Amino acid sequence: MNKLFRNNSEVNKSSPVKLSSHHLLAIEGMQKTEIQKLLDRADYFANLDKHTDTKYLSGYVVLNVFFENSTRTRVSFELAARRLGAEVINISLINSSIKKGESLLDTASTLNAMKPDLLIVRHPHSGAPLLFAEYLSCSIINAGDGRHEHPTQALLDALTIKRRIGYLEGLKISICGDIANSRVARSNIHLLTTMGADVRCVAPSTLMPSTLEKLGVKCFFDMKEGIKDADVVMLLRLQNERMSGTENPSEREYFKFFGLDEIKLSLANPNAVIMHPGPMNRGVEIASVLADDTNRSLIKTQVEMGVAVRMSIIEALNHSKNKT
Amino acid sequence: MTHSIFKSIKLINPATNFNQKVNVVIQNETIISISKDLNLEKFHKDNKTIIYDCEGLTMSPGIFDMRVNIGKTENLKFTQIIAAESGITSMAILPNQTPKLNNPSIIDHIKRQSEDINLPKVMVYGAATKDINGLEMSEIGLMSEMGAIGFTNGNKSIKNSLVMRRLMSYATMINRPIIQHAEDEDLSGLNQASTTSIKGEMNEGEISTRLGLIGIPACAEVIIIERDIRLAKLTGAHYHVAHVSTRDAVNVIREAKKSGLSITCDTAPPYFSLNESKLLTYNTAFKLSPPLRNEDDRLGIIEAIQDGTIDAIASDHRARSKDTKAQPFSAASVGASGIETLFSITLDLVHKKIIDINKAISFLTINPAKIFGIDSPSLEEEKIADFIVFDENEPNTIKQENLKTSPTPFDGRKIHGKILATYINGQVAFMNQIFKNKIIK
Repeated sequence: MNKLFRNNSEVNKSSPVKLSSHHLLAIEGMQKTEIQKLLDRADYFANLDKHTDTKYLSGYVVLNVFFENSTRTRVSFELAARRLGAEVINISLINSSIKKGESLLDTASTLNAMKPDLLIVRHPHSGAPLLFAEYLSCSIINAGDGRHEHPTQALLDALTIKRRIGYLEGLKISICGDIANSRVARSNIHLLTTMGADVRCVAPSTLMPSTLEKLGVKCFFDMKEGIKDADVVMLLRLQNERMSGTENPSEREYFKFFGLDEIKLSLANPNAVIMHPGPMNRGVEIASVLADDTNRSLIKTQVEMGVAVRMSIIEALNHSKNKT
Repeated sequence: MTHSIFKSIKLINPATNFNQKVNVVIQNETIISISKDLNLEKFHKDNKTIIYDCEGLTMSPGIFDMRVNIGKTENLKFTQIIAAESGITSMAILPNQTPKLNNPSIIDHIKRQSEDINLPKVMVYGAATKDINGLEMSEIGLMSEMGAIGFTNGNKSIKNSLVMRRLMSYATMINRPIIQHAEDEDLSGLNQASTTSIKGEMNEGEISTRLGLIGIPACAEVIIIERDIRLAKLTGAHYHVAHVSTRDAVNVIREAKKSGLSITCDTAPPYFSLNESKLLTYNTAFKLSPPLRNEDDRLGIIEAIQDGTIDAIASDHRARSKDTKAQPFSAASVGASGIETLFSITLDLVHKKIIDINKAISFLTINPAKIFGIDSPSLEEEKIADFIVFDENEPNTIKQENLKTSPTPFDGRKIHGKILATYINGQVAFMNQIFKNKIIK
């Protein structure tokens, strides 16, 4: 861990962040200063001993509403909310009301009638959390919507990088994999470009949106070129459930050209770190041996930082609502 | 005998290229006089003479809306009433209803059901193929005898080239056009039989990338048009492309027209007045098919309206219930209401000096009639009084809460122009209070 970074703005980290909105729906449109403050506060939480009393939000009610399967994100949000002293209720709606034919808004307004302070929503359709925010009175956190955004993942990735390397500005960061279908990629592109990083995207042309460069990144179809001199190699899950069988000939062909192995990694900065939002497909996106290389792989740190980042966000949304 | 006199009205009649301020006299159902001078005394003796002071107002033939979907949210009569209030005196409905309009008896049934002397005339398209798979030709000859004006699969593309060839070939015998919703449904991901799990949701481009919505490439439209033009050349058919939305499509149609083929096309107000940037908030009122395209495509459509590549403007009305639209974008229904805004958004082209008023009225009246070889509505002496009266300049704002169908993609738009009265078969089908107040006592 970088001691220097950790100590440089301790003063600012001791109070909750105030945001311009009481929702966190997307990284696109967020100000650099807001992102910076959230990361600083999360860094503060990450440094605390886990037994430190951070129960600032007693009586605050959080509903974890997941319309899609998730283990790590749901648990991470739950832990974050509990460490802040909030009440958390997990609701999995993958099989229940959707199958009964209830509309999304009916479900949402039913939940809203129970007067939660915060709804954490994951939904398979892009833009669904926006719809919640439009109709409900409580705060909304987007925990991943379709192919659109996964803002807390991008924030935890940024914190992970900052804690390891110390800064984001000017870093060469290569995001590799199923960019077209990835909400993690979109949130990371918006966050990292906002913070001044040099972002490159690597994907087979069938999984690369043709207009991606308009988002301020460089696109590569040759992974060796795309990760040359990279400080960070960020891999994306090959979304099997969204793959139609037509974008890629086979898993082994994908691994050959776009999977991270020792040879391709040797082209990156010698100190380059490896990240992956999980869950990983070993032998598809990443060689197993690299995933387990504790010197280079930050995959477990990403999971750890998830809790701290989500604490800072939940706290900030509460603070932003009270003050507006 | 009843006389209605429209005093000092600007009469626009594209069929005779007429645009002058005149006095129009109707006796019972017939126009008996169109003249600059009017001897009012001769009518005053008759108690049943009504004189409207039409200074500043305009009269034109009623609108023929050539593309209307009757959805689940409305019945035909309801749509006819709203159409009359919107200046429409005849409309053509698509076959994609439940049940499908794919046989002669149902065509006959719809025509009889909708026959009302006081409401807009309903014309019917027959389904080109028996079912949605589009493999077997339906009884287009028999449907034609029952009055079907053309054949189409409505909002689905006629996909199979052989089926299209045969349809075109057969349609030439009965002298009816084949109307195509041009979309390569494999490319746009709407082909349900395909192995792909994607489903195109909006125009492909930077905005679809930002929103994480699945893009439909613009070329999905022109690919089908190019194929169909070749088949039209092969068969000699009259081929009509519905709601064209891209620059490439109109470029190809322009060339085909130059080469002398019998090809026509229409567009709808969203495609010349809106672009894909409207989707940035995931507003499902803008989820249309074809999708709203980029600004360059919109400008291409405008140019094609100006140079006459586009023959007609239709509402492409496809009203949807609020429930099916208050959904995440991907899950929301496709389509928007159109009949209530067709006139004002088309008139907007005149206020923006893109086309003149004569041309705008032609796009809505004689041009669509010509496509189907229907008698062009014309306002001349001895003709039945089928017309609308409107104020070209009345400022107004389109508001969803004031409309009877939803969703409108034009909510909040400032417009000029208002329909004041609609006459169908010499009868008042609609007249608003402003116009009633114009009666000279």
